[in-house]
Amino acid sequence: MVDTAAPREPLTRTESGPLAVRLRRAGELTREVLRNPTTLMGLIVIVTLISLAFLAPLLTEPNRPDAYQMPRDWGATNAPPGTPGHLLGTTSTGGDVLYGVLWGARTSLRMSLIVVGVTMTVGTIMGSIAGFIGGKVDEFIMRIVDVLLAIPELIFALAIAAVLGPSFANIIFALSVVFWVKYARIIRGQIIHVKHNEYVDSARVIGDSKLNIYRKDVLPNSVTPVVVQATLDMGNIVLVGATLSFIGLAEAGLAEWGVLVSEGQAGISSGRWWASTFPGAMVFLWALAFNLLGDGLRDVLDPRTGGR
Amino acid sequence: MQIREYVIRRLLILPLILIGTSLIVFTLGRVGGNPIAIYLEHEMTPEEVAQLEDRYGLNDSLPEQYVAWLGGVLRGDLGFSGVSAAPVMDVLPRRLAATLELSIAAAIVAISMGIGLGTFAGARRDRLPDHLTRVFAISGAATPIFWFAIVMLIIFWVYLGWFPVGRSDATIFASIPHPTGVYTIDAVLAGSWTAFRDAIWHLVLPAVTLGYGATAIITRMMRSSLAEELNEDYVDAARAKGLPERLVLRRHARRNALIPTVTVIGLGFGFLLQGSVVVEIIFIWPGLGRWMADAVLRGDQATIMAYVLFTSILFLIVNLIVDILYAYLDRRVVLGG
Amino acid sequence: MTAAAPATAGEKTAALVASVEDLRVHFELKAGVLHAVDGVSFDIADGETLGLVGETGCGKSVTARSFLRLIPTPPGRYAGGRIRFWPKEARQSGGEPVDLLQVPTSDMLDIRGNRIAMIFQDPGKALNPALPIREQVAEVFYQHRTEDLLEAWNGRAPRPIRRAASQRAGKLERLAFKFPPLRSQSKRLKRRVDELVGDALAETQIHNPRKIMASYPHELSGGMKQRVMIAQALACNPDLLIADEPTTALDVTIQARILELIRELQHAHQTSVLYISHDLSLVRRICDRIAVMYAGRIAEIGTTQQVFHDPRHPYTQGLLAAVPSFAHRRGELAAIEGTVPELIDPDPSCRFHTRCAFATDICGRVDPVLDGRVAGRPVACHGYASPEELGVAAAELPHLDRSPA
Repeated sequence: MVDTAAPREPLTRTESGPLAVRLRRAGELTREVLRNPTTLMGLIVIVTLISLAFLAPLLTEPNRPDAYQMPRDWGATNAPPGTPGHLLGTTSTGGDVLYGVLWGARTSLRMSLIVVGVTMTVGTIMGSIAGFIGGKVDEFIMRIVDVLLAIPELIFALAIAAVLGPSFANIIFALSVVFWVKYARIIRGQIIHVKHNEYVDSARVIGDSKLNIYRKDVLPNSVTPVVVQATLDMGNIVLVGATLSFIGLAEAGLAEWGVLVSEGQAGISSGRWWASTFPGAMVFLWALAFNLLGDGLRDVLDPRTGGR
Repeated sequence: MQIREYVIRRLLILPLILIGTSLIVFTLGRVGGNPIAIYLEHEMTPEEVAQLEDRYGLNDSLPEQYVAWLGGVLRGDLGFSGVSAAPVMDVLPRRLAATLELSIAAAIVAISMGIGLGTFAGARRDRLPDHLTRVFAISGAATPIFWFAIVMLIIFWVYLGWFPVGRSDATIFASIPHPTGVYTIDAVLAGSWTAFRDAIWHLVLPAVTLGYGATAIITRMMRSSLAEELNEDYVDAARAKGLPERLVLRRHARRNALIPTVTVIGLGFGFLLQGSVVVEIIFIWPGLGRWMADAVLRGDQATIMAYVLFTSILFLIVNLIVDILYAYLDRRVVLGG
Repeated sequence: MTAAAPATAGEKTAALVASVEDLRVHFELKAGVLHAVDGVSFDIADGETLGLVGETGCGKSVTARSFLRLIPTPPGRYAGGRIRFWPKEARQSGGEPVDLLQVPTSDMLDIRGNRIAMIFQDPGKALNPALPIREQVAEVFYQHRTEDLLEAWNGRAPRPIRRAASQRAGKLERLAFKFPPLRSQSKRLKRRVDELVGDALAETQIHNPRKIMASYPHELSGGMKQRVMIAQALACNPDLLIADEPTTALDVTIQARILELIRELQHAHQTSVLYISHDLSLVRRICDRIAVMYAGRIAEIGTTQQVFHDPRHPYTQGLLAAVPSFAHRRGELAAIEGTVPELIDPDPSCRFHTRCAFATDICGRVDPVLDGRVAGRPVACHGYASPEELGVAAAELPHLDRSPA
């Protein structure tokens, strides 16, 4: 068993090869991903939406003091699309729909980035603890995961946000509590897989620390599924988040798509369709684009579980 | 025999998950805020508040509170619903009936449409209907249902005027008794064609809206699994027997393609449960989801806890049934090892 | 069932069951057009067993499937040629054959499983995992033996029963079968089907047909599954049985028995067999004649004796040298050098020329034709061609022994 002369070569895998090789591989993958027209379309929409989010302060006059609050033009309530100064119309409280659409993109980007960042970190930590320590700790964490998966995402997030009281920060907190589970499962699965692999056994014999195993074997192999999951989550988080704020869990008057749809809802029976339709369509575009990209990435990076 | 063991194994995990769920729900209720907030009024003195706290056991230790709460749940006491001004258990059956009627109608839409569309697309792989179905299926998972519901309302209620909102016409509602709370069944029991038509007419739009996401999931799965089955040898063997394409598809390929599709029906049900909250808000449908939404806005914890506990259990049961159904359909899973 | 004419059974008659002429099956792929079958011709005589041998991917399965038009189109395309088929009546009365590539779909459905049946390579995959054996075998009778099933009614079966006997009953009718008055009649139909299915299974030496009928495929062994496939294929007394490597997926011990069974039943049913295999030693045991296929084309055709003792095509010669225990006594396996060429958009040439020891310049430029004038039987090799017709000097042809067998 103990083979001190074990060659170190098998320990380095393609993912952790010289930088040039890795860059070339990344280039190939990118080309392959972009060959699929629907994936490309998703990426174009994503770039457009994110550009809108960044350009919002240039395209519209930021509201003062808080730019994320809808500006109110009481002189032009319920204005239809095409009204000068209000390209996409206004709400019943004089909120400019275009402003909401643009700043909503910013809100959504902020929300999804924060939640993905937090959940990815928490999930990685929890998954690593479960995978490396194993035994009772693993058992305990995985039961938590089972229970969390037993409650539908939206309902769980809704409940958390509800007991905490209506605020956008609470929505972000609630989403973070719900969305970390999948990352924990990915990382733990990878660690257990690596643990059973021979080359890590030899690495341990040589005296590699856990940290090194982690850096060399676990992380590189987890990157792919984590990236795919994060891409899909970028879309789903906005979808669920907007649903929560539509139900009324965000502050009223926030420049957020779900809030705007909710605000516009009352007007539809009088034929004022625009205030709900445009912001809702943005949520749809956002979620669709990230889903298309995530699907495309999965097809290329992980052909085994490809959804075709 | 083995199927029974499989089911027993699954059933043994169930209480574990239920305890976990109840713990989470309880924690939500206690950590997340003041459980008696809904009873408090501005003019209450601190003594009165303390009295209330004492009455609801808030000064006991948390484990004691949990046991007391769980004991209540097991006895069928889920507390007092502030938004309904009635005990939770008195309101729940009526709300559940409304949600079940809507969800089952939506499930019928989703399963029949999903299997139909999926079969249609899967049998025409890589041709135009297939590409259209693929786009439909992907966009289905990305569609915010609150927006979709509003668009449906704008088109079919505001502009076309084909369907109403709400659950029934008031005078027709009053014309028959409602022993079950499921209006279509009530109408059948009362033998009233008018009431039945009214119930169905009110049901169509929300059911289609609610079923849309699940339809997309099922369509997608059915399409890919049918396309996969059509590559199998037994399909060619069936053709080689002289069976017309209709029978090859229906009796051979589709039967096998349905097996993996069953697994996503559980997922689809999750979609229905989540979607019911917003669909019920928008279509003014007095079910569990709308009740939850009201409770959320008022901070009515008893109702929120009851709802989360109840939907989780419902979700668990449906997934258990799906698992059993899958094990039964695909004998190879259990028997083949 | 059929009035067998004993005189014709043993005799070598010229009557054909099928004749493949210049069959071309192409697949449109992204990389180009794959010429999977590229000008294949052979005949199958009444009552004979013709072996079609070749390496994996040489187009033998595609050829076999073309008989029943089982190639998915697209990406497949029947690019040329014809497959003429003489059903029993046509052979007896000297009637006209049908072109299997041209007959309308409804006629094709009538031929499949009835006049031409097929056994597949892996019985584990060719049976539907979700249906009990009874249902799968019964389909053949419902599809092709409706009159048989309705015998007991003397032509006075009610409409729903008649529709049920040809698998046309709708959901409502099937519901009606659960209640009187149709209940007893539908049960009688079921009993009749059970009888026929049981007989068919018993014929393949399945000893407990009733038990097998109630089983699902995964509950049976591989050999048993192949028996079921054979029972199903021969249930309607087909004129031609296409066996696509029927023993490849089975254990060696069971292979021999299945082979024996096919031979026995073939004689009993007077069925012609097209036997597809990559295994020369196996083909030798069962076939009267052999057609050797290489890269989408026929290399040579001859009786089993001729092909094994006097192989003419360099490919066959190489192939025989590769068979252990034949040309070489023990263990020495002479592999043919080189690999099978790409069949995507190929240029005119002998497909074997890159691996052929005899190849000359002409082999890389001109398609050889299947010609029996020099070799005495059909061989597709320029070594047996006429230099005048090709317009080259005799010295430019590959040097092979041109003496007739």
